[in-house]
Amino acid sequence: MKKYTWLTLWALSLITVFTTGCDKDDDTPTPTFAYQKIAEGKAAGTDFKIEVYSNEELTTGYNPIYIALFDASGKRIEQADVSFQPMMDMGMKKHASPIENPSSGQAVDGYFPGAVVFTMPSGEMGSWTLGVQVQANGQTGTFTTPVTIKEPTTSRLKSFVSKTDGAKYFVAYLQPKQPKVGVNDLEVAVYKASGMMDFPAVTNLTLALEPEMPTMDHGSPNNVNPTHTSGGHYKGKVNFTMTGLWHLHLTLSDASGEAGKLYFEVNF
Amino acid sequence: MVKDMKTPLLLGALALVASPVLAQQKPIPADSVRTIVLQEVAVVTKRQDHQQHLQNFYNANQAATTEELMSRMPELSFIRRGSYGMEPTIRAYSGGQVSVTLDGMRIQGACTDKMDPATIYIEPLSLQRIEVQTAGASSMQGAAIGGSLDMKLAEADFADERKLSGSVTSGYQSAANAMMGGLRLSYAAPTWGLRASGTYRKSQNYRNGRGEKVLYSQYEKANYALSGKFLLQDDLVLKADFIADDGWNIGYPALPMDVGQANARIGSVSLVRENSDRRWSRVEARLYANRIAHYMDDSARPDLPIRMDMPGLSRTSGMYVEGTTSPGHHQQLTVRADASASYLTASMTMYQEGQTPMYMLTWPDNRQLQSGIAAQYSFQVGDKTQLQLNSRLNMSDFAVTTGEGRNQLSVFGYESTARQFLIPSLSLQASRMVYKKLKATLSGGFNGRTPTASELYGFYLFSQFDGFDYVGNPNLKPEKSVQSEFTLSWQEPRLRLQATAYASRVQDYMVGAYNPDLSAMTIGARGVKIYYNTPYALLAGAEASAVYNITGYTQLVSTLRYSFGSNTDGDPLPMMPPLRNITSLRKYFGDYLWVQGETELAAAQNRNSESFLEQPTEAFMLWHLRAGYQKETEKKVWQLNAGIENIFDVHYREHLDWGRIARPGRNVFVQLSVGF
Repeated sequence: MKKYTWLTLWALSLITVFTTGCDKDDDTPTPTFAYQKIAEGKAAGTDFKIEVYSNEELTTGYNPIYIALFDASGKRIEQADVSFQPMMDMGMKKHASPIENPSSGQAVDGYFPGAVVFTMPSGEMGSWTLGVQVQANGQTGTFTTPVTIKEPTTSRLKSFVSKTDGAKYFVAYLQPKQPKVGVNDLEVAVYKASGMMDFPAVTNLTLALEPEMPTMDHGSPNNVNPTHTSGGHYKGKVNFTMTGLWHLHLTLSDASGEAGKLYFEVNF
Repeated sequence: MVKDMKTPLLLGALALVASPVLAQQKPIPADSVRTIVLQEVAVVTKRQDHQQHLQNFYNANQAATTEELMSRMPELSFIRRGSYGMEPTIRAYSGGQVSVTLDGMRIQGACTDKMDPATIYIEPLSLQRIEVQTAGASSMQGAAIGGSLDMKLAEADFADERKLSGSVTSGYQSAANAMMGGLRLSYAAPTWGLRASGTYRKSQNYRNGRGEKVLYSQYEKANYALSGKFLLQDDLVLKADFIADDGWNIGYPALPMDVGQANARIGSVSLVRENSDRRWSRVEARLYANRIAHYMDDSARPDLPIRMDMPGLSRTSGMYVEGTTSPGHHQQLTVRADASASYLTASMTMYQEGQTPMYMLTWPDNRQLQSGIAAQYSFQVGDKTQLQLNSRLNMSDFAVTTGEGRNQLSVFGYESTARQFLIPSLSLQASRMVYKKLKATLSGGFNGRTPTASELYGFYLFSQFDGFDYVGNPNLKPEKSVQSEFTLSWQEPRLRLQATAYASRVQDYMVGAYNPDLSAMTIGARGVKIYYNTPYALLAGAEASAVYNITGYTQLVSTLRYSFGSNTDGDPLPMMPPLRNITSLRKYFGDYLWVQGETELAAAQNRNSESFLEQPTEAFMLWHLRAGYQKETEKKVWQLNAGIENIFDVHYREHLDWGRIARPGRNVFVQLSVGF
């Protein structure tokens, strides 16, 4: 009888110990995609209605843009060729900016996804317009809307003049958008200014990454240099050992040597 | 004070020798009357009993902290970072290599810098005795390679006649301008008893041997202990214990940070059945839980480039069941099953004006489940030989419990952070009376220990000792040790001599290795070290002690110890205490007054670890003088203790003291207590 008392106690204790506290998995769930309408209107020369969406306010740097197309009857068009024509009017001169047109003629969840890299904010210097050219159901037309580009609190676009070919290069910061202490995916996109209207993606660079915490004067271990994936996008890994202000130093080189250096700030 | 007389401070191996193995089974208090008798006996015989004398020797400065009492035991040394919160080491084994328990309960420190060893949570006022077990005998307490240190809590008593007793104590120490006050109240009834004690200490910055104030060496704390005992059946007792310990404004001169606040809450409930007529003569089951919160900050330090907070939290709950039986004539078997779960987390936040706070987990949230079964079997073979077998099988399971924690560790490419360890240990000890009163004891065995949370998961933990940031390694293998110990002892009423030599080879010895590819996080740090397993390390040493009753009124006690350690390359291990001797001579003048002279000698330590940039330590010799006077009136016992420590104001430091911070200079202490 007494034996059972002890056994019960032992069992109870075991239960107490091994039930107090379970492993928590607090990986934050990815936030639901929010489409924010920037503009809508008719594409000149067609009877289509065009809706322009982004995820957030348009800022200097890389902005994903989503186009929704509707025919005269209000039915969503799923098959179309869409291209972007951003334009900066500075009075004396005009220039375009790097773009990524929707890669496929097929809408994804009803939207044609692409991106525009605005190279400067709107303001006294000049104003931006975004042209969207569509070609569907045998009709072709363009919808042009003024857009306001803001300068983000932390710069997400850097430029430099290459030491090797003298051309101006733009480097846009894409990831990490929500940096965390730990391993983060790093993604940047590189474009080159070939005149005022043409900004092709640069695919032949070698990038070296060095994160630094300027306040503490230290870096982080085991980072992976970004390498080219497609369309001028370079992907790697950046490791943060703590929150705070970090500088991500990038050294860009081409076949003939170091082209330029720059850094992005990450503050979290 | 009557109570204090009875509480012996057992001296590790000395105690083991003093009590023959088969007598370890404590006499069972058949009724409460016997308890009272025992108390009276303890008081009456205090000048005849060696064990009592020993206890008095080491308890002479009653204003001392538990740490100070322990540092006089030959097997123990303390790694000192400040006047408070010293880390106990047993024979140069430290940290995760030793098992430090409070009355059998596991307590995990909440400080990543080991500034909160379990020894700080118990005050001498609520301490019954300290048990140090070396080598294989520690298997009962836990999986450790360096032995175990267990602090037994004082218990409430039963009494046939309801009785209230207590004591009030107050003390002063000059070197640190330190005050202490203590209060104990005990209530004993036939079927229940309560014991409550409280201690308050406030210590200022102390003065070293050159008369300089050592900044950031102050501390203040309050400790409360409550224990209750209830007689459920003739032989069944329910016990409940609770300890609250709050420390604040604790300075650590050897570290760049101090402790703003440290809070511990420790509680347990246990059932004990003691009855020699039963098959299991003693059975104890205990449930316990504790929570330690520790807040390190550098707000007291001037001119820092960055302000930093480092809070830590540890929660442990666990239980054990222990039973003792006699499977045959002259045999005794004690078995124990224990399990515990500990949760640890610690973080660091750095503040720079106008910037986002810099935050990281220094201990990514992690937990450790541990369970083990252990057995101790003793067999008296004939009149002269005893055998003892100690064994344990320990299972533990470590894991990082949050995604945040795992993300952080992934920076080092550590994909999997969960680890399981199975650690067996076995040791055999044989004792034999070889010649007259000369007894020889030989023991040998193997054991092991798991890595600690810092060694597995630590994230840029700065160590002021060598100036490196330490990073854990979840792929560590456990340390395994093969060890042997040989003791010779001579015992007769007037003289007791004992000498012990030990050696062990620790396989997969864990140590931090400098990784030049990593950049240090802490400003001013020399670099980053990552824990890894070295092939092996050797640790050896010897201890000797003598207790000589020159006359009934004069007694000499002397202890000597030496440790030696070397790594795989034959280089010295760090933190090796040098040769050290403490000799005390006590003389009683009549029944009420005693005076004790004492010398403390430590040799220089010039065997230093190069990889830890360890510096040599000079030899020193200290003289102490202590005296006690006791006056008993009809209802009260008055006791006055006073003395001078480090009489010649020697400027010195011990080898295990961090940061080359000198110890206190001349210290005059006085303590008055009254018991009723």
